[in-house]
Amino acid sequence: MPDRYTPQVIDHLVRPRNAGEIPDPSGRGESGHEACGDVASFTVGISGNVLEEVRYKVFGCAACVAAGSALSELVAGKHLVEAARVSKIDIQDAIGGPLPLGKEHALTLVLDALHKAFEDHWNRTAGEMLLNGAKMPGKGGRSVVAAMSGGVDSAVTALLLQEAGYDVATVTFRLHDGEKGSRSCCSPDTVLFARDTAHRMGLPHFTLNLKELFNRRVMHDFVGSYQEGRTPNPCVACNAHVKFHASAFLADEIGYHHVATGHYARGEEGPTLGRPVDESKDQTYVLWPVPQELLARTVFPLGEYRKTEVRAIAEERGLAVAYTPESQDICFIPDGNYRRFVRKKVTAEPGDVVDDEGQVLGRHGGVVDFTVGQRRGIGVSAPTPLYVKEVRPSTGQVVVGRKKDLEVREVAVRDLNLFLDPGYAACVQVRYNSRPVACSVEETADGEWIAYLAEPVMGVAPGQSAVFYTEDGNRVVGGGVVARRAA
Amino acid sequence: MTDPVYLDNAATTPLDPPVLEAMLPHLGGLRGNPSSLHALGNAADDAVEAARAFVASLIRAQTEEVLFTSGGTESDAIAVLGLAWSAPPEKRHLVVSSLEHAAVREDAKRLEREGFEVSWIGVDGDGLIDPEEFAAALRPDTALAAMIWANNEVGTVEPVREIAELCLERGIPFHTDAVQAAGRVPIDVSEVPVSTLAMSAHKLYGPQGVGALYVRRGFSPEPIVHGGGQERGLRSGTPNVAGIVGLGRAAELARQEMDVRVAHERGLRDRILAGAQTIPDVTLNGHRERRLSNNVHLTVSGVEAESLVLFLDSLGYAVGSGSACSSGGHKASPVLLAMGCAERDAFSVVRITVGKDNTAAEVDGFLEAFGAAVAQLRELSPHYAG
Repeated sequence: MPDRYTPQVIDHLVRPRNAGEIPDPSGRGESGHEACGDVASFTVGISGNVLEEVRYKVFGCAACVAAGSALSELVAGKHLVEAARVSKIDIQDAIGGPLPLGKEHALTLVLDALHKAFEDHWNRTAGEMLLNGAKMPGKGGRSVVAAMSGGVDSAVTALLLQEAGYDVATVTFRLHDGEKGSRSCCSPDTVLFARDTAHRMGLPHFTLNLKELFNRRVMHDFVGSYQEGRTPNPCVACNAHVKFHASAFLADEIGYHHVATGHYARGEEGPTLGRPVDESKDQTYVLWPVPQELLARTVFPLGEYRKTEVRAIAEERGLAVAYTPESQDICFIPDGNYRRFVRKKVTAEPGDVVDDEGQVLGRHGGVVDFTVGQRRGIGVSAPTPLYVKEVRPSTGQVVVGRKKDLEVREVAVRDLNLFLDPGYAACVQVRYNSRPVACSVEETADGEWIAYLAEPVMGVAPGQSAVFYTEDGNRVVGGGVVARRAA
Repeated sequence: MTDPVYLDNAATTPLDPPVLEAMLPHLGGLRGNPSSLHALGNAADDAVEAARAFVASLIRAQTEEVLFTSGGTESDAIAVLGLAWSAPPEKRHLVVSSLEHAAVREDAKRLEREGFEVSWIGVDGDGLIDPEEFAAALRPDTALAAMIWANNEVGTVEPVREIAELCLERGIPFHTDAVQAAGRVPIDVSEVPVSTLAMSAHKLYGPQGVGALYVRRGFSPEPIVHGGGQERGLRSGTPNVAGIVGLGRAAELARQEMDVRVAHERGLRDRILAGAQTIPDVTLNGHRERRLSNNVHLTVSGVEAESLVLFLDSLGYAVGSGSACSSGGHKASPVLLAMGCAERDAFSVVRITVGKDNTAAEVDGFLEAFGAAVAQLRELSPHYAG
């Protein structure tokens, strides 16, 4: 069968609505590429969150021309939140039904171009905010901006909030260039997938470009940590500077009160963080750096659910995300090879592997290859297994020892973010997925905390987080960064 | 709705009223199978044989050298696959131009998958094959060479005679697809030593679904369908008598009227070309002189072909597009790419092909619509700077 179009498509082709370009737009977005035959661009004029003017241009088949024209008509004059709700199905309805087989991509293409124009608007509005992570005050209302990654957790988060009666707007962040789309001309598949998921729930969807902020505050720190002999935690850095700030920024811009993420944690009075129902998925350990005023407006719906229940909900409500595999790795290193990633960014100098007494046991290819507690790849044979005990970038030394030599009883913690009175700190967790250890805490003159551990702990690495919990181990008192192993 | 102005005659032509008239007796009521022994069968057979003589006369062939098929694509397949399959086992090489219609190109690709080696002969920017380059590719183990007589997209008429003679000298079977050329270019197989030649009725104001294959005496392609052994055993199956009669009548008229038709088409073609080229960034593809009398193939920068075709359709003008857009992005024409056309320009081509019944007034109306459509689509194009 040849391609057959509805009369509406031909009408839009011959009389395109809102054709053209705004000379000085609030935002501009383009998707597609001339080499693949289709390009769509949108310029938008936004004032007071209302899409006062929208203009589009297309080089492409009749499907693209019509889809762009119909989309411009659907969103012109609307509040941004309503415009961001317009889905591929809405465009399809406006052009009289499904496009011919093989032409459906036109819908994705024009919608992506419009959303890039919105994104550009936010980036222009945000200016330095999205670079520096400065935040703005929140406003009232039972409304929430839910961060949406395209995975099952964030999708169910948005769904639960919607079912609980919130006005929900969703947002997906562009964090790095590591994500590839299956079509080079559009946004990465995760962004398109998150948008489709939101739209299927009838929710508005926005994208924010945080690549510069993420690069500065997360990736740069990740590489720098290895150079300085520290063990980074990029998820912690992202929560400290990126994800919550950006969600709150968008909430403030569209007048929404709350923000939400798909973390497994509970919001508790204080406000502070509490352990979730599903302790095996507990993410309080990585959430400690969220500023308290942001935490105060954050909702974590998944804190009340087990992961199996979340998957069941997604499946029951027909969310396609129910079948996506669990993401484990650091998002910007999809192959999980941290060493190769770091080595691409820095030059590594060979150095000595030494023992506690400074005796040289062998050579290594660069301190960036090592973190405290590491056993593999040391390259020195010994009767008992050796572990990295300390990394000394200044001398290029990697200090190794037996397992027992890595045990510590005191940990120095800096850069503290406190939710509760320090007096509540009764135990400390120094690694993801490990049990907290009872401790007492002493504050030093320069504001660091020394945690005296009730039992020795293995492999405490500078740069990792130390998170303090209340006596029952359920609520976060505060957290900080391991400065060094105290004596 | 009034009938559109039809300027897509390379896709198919209107059925000529005298052709329809000749066909009608064979479409209704009692009619025989040409293979039957009774009088009704004989009548059908007579009609088919009369048609065969008309078709043979159009290309100056012997009557028995003409076979009837279901159309150009089947004719190409019988010739290309059949000649390759019937070649001696040590001959596993083909020489094929990169200008071929998909009907030949895809057959050659199939043979490539079967283990034949294919030398694809490139073309210059005008879509013209260089006989020397073609000759250089011919080898002792070449089983078959193929080159289209006149390309269906850009309309360039190829040096068939030279290449056919080169093949004859070397004893290599040579096939040509003359679907677009027949009726527009004088074809004389008594002078031009092609081995096989494909043609189609519906490009000649005849019915769709019927074509012919010329097979020179002495060549025996391996059949690709088997059955009752009709058409010298090369195309088994009861023939499409009404269609064949239509083809015969169409061929007869084409021979009688060729000079008049060609002169008329050429006038309209040049009128379109002159008018279209007053629009900036509109360029002609294919050879300026050595081209089909009815073909105008244009690159219209900044305008996507499908949009332009549908836009013109909405204004009442039917023309052809040179590319197909699909979900995986556009598919650029291999012929245009072989001619060195940039990929982005390959999505901006339109084919306007006139016919014997078009008028100067239609052409003038078309040029006005064309100018308006191009202007509006360029206005819409994000990157056309003008």
